[in-house]
Amino acid sequence: MFTEAEVHVVSDRPVIETAGLWKRYEGVEALRGLDLQVPSGSIFGFLGRNGSGKTTTIKVLLGMARPSRGEARVFGCSPSGQDGVEIRRRTAFVSDEKDLYDYMAVGEIVAFTRSFYPRWRADLEQQYLRKFELPLDRNIKGLSRGMRTKLAMLLALCRGADLLMLDEPTSGLDPAMAEEVLQALVGHVAAQESTVFFSSHQLAEVEQIADHVAIIDRGQTVVSDALDDLRARYRRIQLVFEGDAPEIRVHAPGTHRVRRQGRVITVLSSSSGDAVIQELRGYRPSSFDVSPVSLKDIFLESVRTED
Amino acid sequence: MLWHKAWLETRWRFISAVLILTVMAGGNVYGWLATRALLPQLNTTTISPAAEATGLGSVIREAVELNKTFRGYIWYQAFRQNLTQMGVLFAVVLGCGGLVTESTQGSALFTLSLPITRRRLVGTRAGVGLAQCFAMAIVPSLVIPILSPAVGERFGLVDALAHGLCIFFVGAVFFSLASFLSTLFGDIWRPMLIAISIACALAFASLVIPQLRIFSVMSGETYFKTGSLPWAGLLTSAVIATALLYSAAETLERRDF
Repeated sequence: MFTEAEVHVVSDRPVIETAGLWKRYEGVEALRGLDLQVPSGSIFGFLGRNGSGKTTTIKVLLGMARPSRGEARVFGCSPSGQDGVEIRRRTAFVSDEKDLYDYMAVGEIVAFTRSFYPRWRADLEQQYLRKFELPLDRNIKGLSRGMRTKLAMLLALCRGADLLMLDEPTSGLDPAMAEEVLQALVGHVAAQESTVFFSSHQLAEVEQIADHVAIIDRGQTVVSDALDDLRARYRRIQLVFEGDAPEIRVHAPGTHRVRRQGRVITVLSSSSGDAVIQELRGYRPSSFDVSPVSLKDIFLESVRTED
Repeated sequence: MLWHKAWLETRWRFISAVLILTVMAGGNVYGWLATRALLPQLNTTTISPAAEATGLGSVIREAVELNKTFRGYIWYQAFRQNLTQMGVLFAVVLGCGGLVTESTQGSALFTLSLPITRRRLVGTRAGVGLAQCFAMAIVPSLVIPILSPAVGERFGLVDALAHGLCIFFVGAVFFSLASFLSTLFGDIWRPMLIAISIACALAFASLVIPQLRIFSVMSGETYFKTGSLPWAGLLTSAVIATALLYSAAETLERRDF
């Protein structure tokens, strides 16, 4: 059990920390030295391609899988052993598939889950049952995917958890349903001051609700920062030439991608771009434009597509 | 509430098992009327020399002798055959499933996200399963003394409980075996087939190696013949069942999901 003093101490440090985390499954390296820090109180978007290690990371953090090497800490504690029980007591988790017990009715699984959480929010339970229009006597097997997701969210949000860990919370939902779930999440976080760590493929929804993001690729963190800082740092620089664009080689640090197409060269920079801009101006283009980039651009640039 | 989950997962298997075994036990009691009517027609001298040579003759003679009394008939038909054989089958069926099976159905991650240890999960499921095995052994056994007056006979309540206890202890071994195998395989079929195959192998092996006569312990043969419970066999069964459940917990503890 955490003492009051421990709870106070861990509140100042990242809620989630991993250092050099490796996980090998039957010859496949799912995580390859993952470093991650999730600040307390943040809404942290965890991005990556399919198979990049997002779900494995979450499983390690919740003690469902053991790391092969490296360290993972949640609330300052290791997820394995008895501390894992305390971590899970303070953490609400929604899995990608939202698979629950098909043989239970909605009311049964709510009562079942409630019994494990002393800080269960009965008021929120009633509120979300109404909001999500979940019928207590309906068997889970008969629920649509959207209703299952809502039920899984209810079971997570009512736990009184300090940390919400959500694996693809809106996967498989139509845009209206996804928006409803996101709004419930944002509303909950605003009211409860908890930390949210969620993985997603939906870059638009990450931009909509996250204040921090990490992008992982092949089991390693390739980008991790506050979303505003990322937006401020990354720039797209476009050079247009009178004739065909010349072959260029940019040496300034922070240059990510150089694309040459006809008269146009596009450069993605991740270091405010001053040095890159200076260097590129040296090529004397007929027009020169610096513009902000979206999270999608940063994501696509950060994850390698070649195998 | 974990026990409630374990109950919901297994309730139909358990209810089916108790119903079938109870009907079988009741059927055995009422079958006494037909057996009693047939007894005078049985002539043990018709056993062929070939059957005598293989030892089958003595088996047939033993069966005829046992069926001459209601107590012998019930032990032979119910406790030695039906309740023992079907008890093993249902104990295996009850032991199959659990967290690894849940992982193939998808709900294991929800279970594993709860603030409980895997040992508690295994322990609760084993506790519920063993309680079901106990009821599965005792309820059909008690039906026999309850229904016996209907065929003009009596069967001791204590005798029924003693035999039920023997069925439970050995049934617990097969329940635990299935539970252990269920931590190795994600489906329920392989644990079921392997456990039943082991039971069949033990039945055949016991014909050659008397120390493996686990089904003799299960039927309470010693109790039927001497009036004393097979304590060594029951203790051995309890130790094996505990070891298998411990192994199941250890295997699950080390497993990645």
